Amino acid sequence: MHGSVYLARKVGLAAGTVFVAITLNFILFRAAPGDAVSNLSRVPHASPQLKEALRHEFGLDQSKWAQYLLYLKELAHGNLGISFADQQPVSHDLATALGNTVPMVLLGTVIAILFGVFTGTVAAWRRGGITDQVNTNVAIAFYSFPTQWLGLMLLILFAGVLPTSGMTDEFAIDPSWWAHLQDVLKHMILPSATMALTLYGEYTLIARSAMLETLSEDYILTARAKGLSNARIVRRHAFRNALLPTTTMVALSLGYVVGGAILIETVFSWPGIGRAVYQAVLQRDYPMLQGAFLVLTLSVVVFNLIADLLYFKLDPRVTE
Amino acid sequence: MSMLDVVDLEVWFDLPGGGELHAVQGVDLAVERGDRLGLVGESGCGKTTVMMAMMGLLPSNATVSGQVLLDGVDILAHGERSVRSHRWVDLAMVFQGAMNAFNPVQRIGRQIREPMELHRTASGAAARRRTNELLEMVGMPVSAADRYPHELSGGMRQRAALAMALACEPRVLFADEPTTALDVMVQAQILQQLGQLVDELGLALVLVTHDLPVVAAVCDRATVMYAGRIAEQATMDALFHDPRHPYTRLLFASTPDLYGEEPVVSIPGSPPRLDRPLTGCPFAARCPHAFDPCREQQPALATLAAGHLAACHLNTRAGVTA
Repeated sequence: MHGSVYLARKVGLAAGTVFVAITLNFILFRAAPGDAVSNLSRVPHASPQLKEALRHEFGLDQSKWAQYLLYLKELAHGNLGISFADQQPVSHDLATALGNTVPMVLLGTVIAILFGVFTGTVAAWRRGGITDQVNTNVAIAFYSFPTQWLGLMLLILFAGVLPTSGMTDEFAIDPSWWAHLQDVLKHMILPSATMALTLYGEYTLIARSAMLETLSEDYILTARAKGLSNARIVRRHAFRNALLPTTTMVALSLGYVVGGAILIETVFSWPGIGRAVYQAVLQRDYPMLQGAFLVLTLSVVVFNLIADLLYFKLDPRVTE
Repeated sequence: MSMLDVVDLEVWFDLPGGGELHAVQGVDLAVERGDRLGLVGESGCGKTTVMMAMMGLLPSNATVSGQVLLDGVDILAHGERSVRSHRWVDLAMVFQGAMNAFNPVQRIGRQIREPMELHRTASGAAARRRTNELLEMVGMPVSAADRYPHELSGGMRQRAALAMALACEPRVLFADEPTTALDVMVQAQILQQLGQLVDELGLALVLVTHDLPVVAAVCDRATVMYAGRIAEQATMDALFHDPRHPYTRLLFASTPDLYGEEPVVSIPGSPPRLDRPLTGCPFAARCPHAFDPCREQQPALATLAAGHLAACHLNTRAGVTA
C-alpha cells in the first residue's frame, strides 16, 4: 500500500544523514587548530620547501572547496586516506581494528539483549513479587556500575583463570586455526562479559516497563477471557508488542557495536577500534579519526534504518 | 437450578493505601437459556465487577467469595484452573470499548480464530470457514478477516468483537457497554443485531450498561444495582410501570424521553463510599422517601411478586409504596 513510500522516505532520510555527517566530519577536522602538515613536519628545521611539498602532496594548497570535492570524490571511490601514524591506508587499519572489535562487542551485546529481555519479561510477569524485586534491583545495580570498575573487578576475580589482556597468546607459535580460535574466544570471555553485564540492566528495565505497559492493555484482558494461559498470553500477545520499544534500543546499541567500547578495550588491552580511536586522538592522526567517525556514523545510521524497517515489519500501524 | 446461577457473590478490592473496598455485596443472579438480562446502575455500582468475577477475570488485588454455578458446578471452585476451560466456550464477552479489545498487531481473522483453535472447536480450513460465517453473521464483509484492527471503524470493530465472542458458540454472552462509544445509528444497528443473534443462537445475554434505553430495547429482564447490591430485579415492564425501589424510579426519571414531555430529574448526591462499613440502606442518604428504619437497618431483598424482587423498607411498611 503505502509501504514502498515509507521505505523510500526512510532510505532517503538515511542517505541524507550520512551525507550531512560526512560534510560535518570534513569541516570538524579542518576547523581544528593545526593541520596535517604542521603535525607531520614538527621536526627541527623543517624547511618551508618541505612544508610546501607536503602541503602539495596532501592537496592542502588547494582551496577548502576544492579539498571538499576531492574528499567526496576519493570517498566515493572508497579511499579513506593514509594514516599519519603508521603510513598505512586508513581503510586497512580500520578493517583490522573492526575485525577485532565487532566479534567481542557483538557477543557481549547479544548476550546482554537476550538476558536483559528475558529477565525484564520475567520481572514484569511476576510483578511486585520477590523475583521482580531481585531482578530489577540487580539490573539497576549493574546498569549503574562504571564500566571500567566492573571490568577491573572481573579482572581481579578471574586473573589467573582466564586471560586478561590482549586478543591472543603472544607466545603461541604458529597455532592451528582451531587452536587460534579457541585462544581468541578465551581472551574474549572477560571483555565480552563486562560488556554484557554493563548493558543488560538497561534492557531489563526497558523490557520490564514495556511488558508491564503491554500487560495492562485491554487486548490482554480479551486474551485472558478467551481462556489463554498466562504463558501463552505473554508469548502470543504481549511479547511482540512489548518488543517494539526494545527494537529501537537494540538497533541503536548494535550501531554502537562498531564504535567499540573504549573503556573495555583499554582495560583488557583489546586491539579494537575504540582503542585505535583513542590512540589516533593522542597522535592527532586526523585521517584515521575521520575514517573511524565515518564508519561509526554509517553503522549508527544503517542500524537505525534497520530499526525502522523492523518496526515496519512488526507493527502494521507505522504506515499510518 | 438455572443454567447459570450466581450465589451470594462478594468482591473486595485491596486498596493501595491499605483498607478494602467492598465492591460487590451478596449478589444472586439466575440466567436461563434464551434470557436477556440487563445489569444496570450508575458508574461504580459493581455491575462490571460482577461480570468480571463470573469469568474469574478480576485483577489479583480482588478477593472473591460465593459461587458461580454453571449447570450446578461451581466454575470458580479452583480459581483460574477451573474457570479457564469455561471461558469463551461457555461464557464469552464483548468488552466495553472494543477499540482496544483487539491486539493491534494481529489481523482480525487470526484473533477470531484463536479461541477456536485453543478450545479445539475448529481448526485450519474449518476455522477459517467459521470465521467468515461469523463475520457475515454480524454483517461484515469476509475480507475484514485480513484487516488489522486500526483499519476498521469503531462500529466495525464492535461487530468484529461480537463475531469473536460468538466464535465458540458460548452459552452465555456478556456484553459490557457494547455500544457506548458508538454513534446512535450504529448503536441501534448493533443492538438490533445483538438481539437477533441471541434469538437465533439461543444463547443467554447479560447486558451490562448504564444506558436504560439500551436495556429497554434489548432485554426482557433487568437487575438494578446500587452500591454493590441488588436494589431491584424484575421484568422490564414491571420496572417501568411498577418500580418498587425509589432508586429504580429515579433512574428511569433521570433518562430523557424522546418527546421531552416529562422533565429530566437528576438524583442528588452520590453513592456511598464502599471502603467503610455501611449501616442502613445504602440509598438512604439520597432517597426522598427515607424514614427511620432506612438509616438503621439494611433492607433485605424480598420477593414481592413472581420474579419481582426489591430491597426497600417501604415495601414492608403498610400502606406505603415507593
